[in-house]
Amino acid sequence: MARSRFRLPAWLRRFKAPKTLLGRALLVLGVLAGVAVLALALWVVHLDRVVTRQFEGRRWSVPARVFAQPLELYVGAPVPADDLEEELKRLQYRVGDPATGPGLYRRRGGTFEVHARRVRFTDELRAPVRVQIRTDASGIAGLADGKAKDLPLFRLDPPLIGSISPVHGEDRLVLGPGEVPKLLTEGLKLVEDRRFDEHHGVDPRGIARAMWANLRAGRVQQGGSTLTQQLIKSYFLTEEQTLARKLTEAVMALRLEARFTKDEILNAYVNEVFLGQDGERAVHGFGLGSQFWFGKPLDELDVGETAMLVGVIKGPTYYDPRRKPERAKARRDLVLQVFADGGLIPRDVMKREQAKPLGIRKPGGAYVPAYLDLVRRHLKRDYAEADLAAAGLTVYTSLDPRAQAAAESALARQLKRLDATGKRKGTLEGAVVIAEPDSGDVIAVVGGRNAGFDGFNRALDAKRTIGSLVKPAVYLAALETNRYTPASILDDSPLQLKLGDGTLWTPQNYTREVYGPVPMVHALAESLNLATVHLGLEVGLPTVVNTLVKLGVDQKPAPHPSLLLGAIGLSPLDVTQLYAPFANGGFRARLRSVRAVVDENGAPLKRFPVQVDAVASPATVYQVDRMLTQVFTFGTARGARLPGGIVAAGKTGTSNDTRDSWFAGFTGSHLAVVWVGYDDNRVTGLTGGSGALPVWTDLMSALRTTSWEPSMPETLEDRWIDYFTGLEARADCGAEVLPVAVPIGTPLAPRADCPPAATDATQPGTAPSGIVDRVKSLFDKVTH
Amino acid sequence: MRAASHRFDAGARRRRLPAGAAAALAAFALAGCSLVEPTSPPTRTPVPSAPAGTVIIPAPSPSAPAAEPAPEAVPQPTPPPPPTTRTYRLGPATQSLVTQARTQVERGELDAAGGTLDRAIRIEPRNPLLWIELAQVRLTQKAARQAEGCARKALSLATGDRRAQSQASKIVADALKAQGRVQEARAFEDRARG
Repeated sequence: MARSRFRLPAWLRRFKAPKTLLGRALLVLGVLAGVAVLALALWVVHLDRVVTRQFEGRRWSVPARVFAQPLELYVGAPVPADDLEEELKRLQYRVGDPATGPGLYRRRGGTFEVHARRVRFTDELRAPVRVQIRTDASGIAGLADGKAKDLPLFRLDPPLIGSISPVHGEDRLVLGPGEVPKLLTEGLKLVEDRRFDEHHGVDPRGIARAMWANLRAGRVQQGGSTLTQQLIKSYFLTEEQTLARKLTEAVMALRLEARFTKDEILNAYVNEVFLGQDGERAVHGFGLGSQFWFGKPLDELDVGETAMLVGVIKGPTYYDPRRKPERAKARRDLVLQVFADGGLIPRDVMKREQAKPLGIRKPGGAYVPAYLDLVRRHLKRDYAEADLAAAGLTVYTSLDPRAQAAAESALARQLKRLDATGKRKGTLEGAVVIAEPDSGDVIAVVGGRNAGFDGFNRALDAKRTIGSLVKPAVYLAALETNRYTPASILDDSPLQLKLGDGTLWTPQNYTREVYGPVPMVHALAESLNLATVHLGLEVGLPTVVNTLVKLGVDQKPAPHPSLLLGAIGLSPLDVTQLYAPFANGGFRARLRSVRAVVDENGAPLKRFPVQVDAVASPATVYQVDRMLTQVFTFGTARGARLPGGIVAAGKTGTSNDTRDSWFAGFTGSHLAVVWVGYDDNRVTGLTGGSGALPVWTDLMSALRTTSWEPSMPETLEDRWIDYFTGLEARADCGAEVLPVAVPIGTPLAPRADCPPAATDATQPGTAPSGIVDRVKSLFDKVTH
Repeated sequence: MRAASHRFDAGARRRRLPAGAAAALAAFALAGCSLVEPTSPPTRTPVPSAPAGTVIIPAPSPSAPAAEPAPEAVPQPTPPPPPTTRTYRLGPATQSLVTQARTQVERGELDAAGGTLDRAIRIEPRNPLLWIELAQVRLTQKAARQAEGCARKALSLATGDRRAQSQASKIVADALKAQGRVQEARAFEDRARG
């Protein structure tokens, strides 16, 4: 027997087995009981470990706080008084007369006195400071410090746009214990768990009360779960209502209470509680819940809004304030009653708050999941994971909240309008990316028409056929051979190509027409397919592929002829990178959303300064850009215009059978790419001009943008040509002549009826037939 | 060239679009049709009966409603004036940042100096002097390729400003030499000397 092999403890050795039957039975029972207790203990230890690990894991993953770019104020900055006040309000500055403490401001007409808070920037920790800001109609007119000394510039606080856990990829607006308003925590206890401060995780009295209430009502009306139990339920995501489950929860709750303080548990609850569903995304935590329902930070909620947040916990779907406003209002009013009964708020406040509407914001707005998504990916690309795991990081981004808002509302508004026109079924989707051409800063990203919804991020992940958006790259490749100019005559004639697999490819123009010989500027402005294919084949497919790669297309496209018409799938962000060199005079600026990451102590981890690479000659790019401005005058975007005569350059793109509608275009200060289409790739009936362009025009009109007007490179000159023949003409020869930028001294044939002055002098009375010959010879030279 | 003259007419009509088009579009809107894009290029061949769904009419843009009485003239980029001499200067805001960046460089805080210039570039993105300054910092940091990019950018922006061009060319040359591209550097050295 086992007994002979082991050396038993003394007390056991002294043990004598009972001799009676009863005695033996008792012994067996005793041993069984012992085993049961041991098993129970092991189980409890196991649960303790599981729940502690979960709790610790959540607690210590303090996410990085993410900020948008601060508004820079300097004399001449285009920030009029109303915009400045709006920005101050958004930053939670309050009116104070006089502005005697940080966070207060006073406005007198166009003059502001702002007492700025203590704030950390990428490069400094600024102590609270008073500033005087004078504005006039155009923007900032003067800046002075507290002693009336002129300041060259002053930046406002960077706005907080969210928190992300860069490692786990999950975003929540996590709150520290000091960041939760008292009314919320006290109200929460009052409504959900009155004895929270006394019990040890499980509240037998609460359970008894709930059971009694349920018995009287004849159905389950109240739950007796404590906040601790609810927290555990949320951790392990189960709605199972078995006794075993309840028991497990109860044990875990007891263990959690034994290990952590009430404050720690309450804080975890505040960040974990389920408050609603935003499409596929579950909204957890009061920080995010406050943004989701009210569009503002938690500490700005009024009494009624706080009551709504507390009330919705009981059934986030059942009491959904957007879908079931009456039900939700009844619930809020009841919670206000409980607040008043519990002495949290006076009766008159309760009455006042009950009379107010719910104040739920429309979806979209403050929350920018698509942009945060880009930030997360750029962090992953540029930073070491170990660095990002440190707690308390601050991420400074390039997001411009005003541009983001403009893009979101333009997309939502135009898609709604487009849905209503035509015979389209289903909801159109869209995406927008806006960047600053010179720095490569991505200032706005919209991933879908419901911008506040953290779902499929089309701006980054929808790889869609770009169609004619590819053409500027083809034309750039052509100009780089020095064999063409914007006035060169291209051949828009039918062609058939035998492809590698033996099939015949017969490209056509969008209009199914053939335009014959046309000048390059005409072919690009009107997006003629046949002319482009002829040109691309003459230049050579490998050359076009190389051009695309150097402009910024990540993966080298296969050199198929259909590439010339944009048979390549790119995301709106990829297209932004592709167009960046056109918007930046031949320089490729690395697109960036993260400007700096700073650790807990304000020390920068690593900086990503602006980085530009010369990828194409400024003169060549300038010629293409000038042709792209003609897209708005003569081409596929004519009729679209920006307010104030702002000059823009851009290109429409329409993929086969109108499955994708694109517009990529830029001004002097903004590059924006818009895609419109269906997620399931159905036909939309929309071209780039009818779908994406109105969105682009709408959002550009809302931005404070500047004309595209770089100085012309010194090797180029302007010449006026006929839009249809490419013949050189005088500038006043009617409406069909336009200026093109060409290398100085480019030989151009004159238009007979209206030759340019110089040609007039040298070739008086040139016969029309002679011109035809010259055009013909030029044509022959170019096309063969 | 008869066909051409036909096209001139088409073009002429379009360029005088404003008044006529507004009226036509208003009538179109009244007729209850949906708005469609301007897909029709001016053609010499008359457009055959357009297939259903490709109605061809210039559409108004959202910013310029059809009923607008006097739309603005189509913005035709005016040819920029021939290169004249000019001198780029910094505004007070960017000047103070450049001063700050130079102090940071003296203290050896090159990263910080880059950040400060970054901030300046956001205020005046097309001022070549700022790009020259940044290129200089990058060169000091031994980031020759980045220095080259910034200096070339400065050069492309400095049209008409010989002094700025010369400074930028000098940095391009230095950055190229730092990358062992001595041959390429020569042309920029010549340019730097004017």
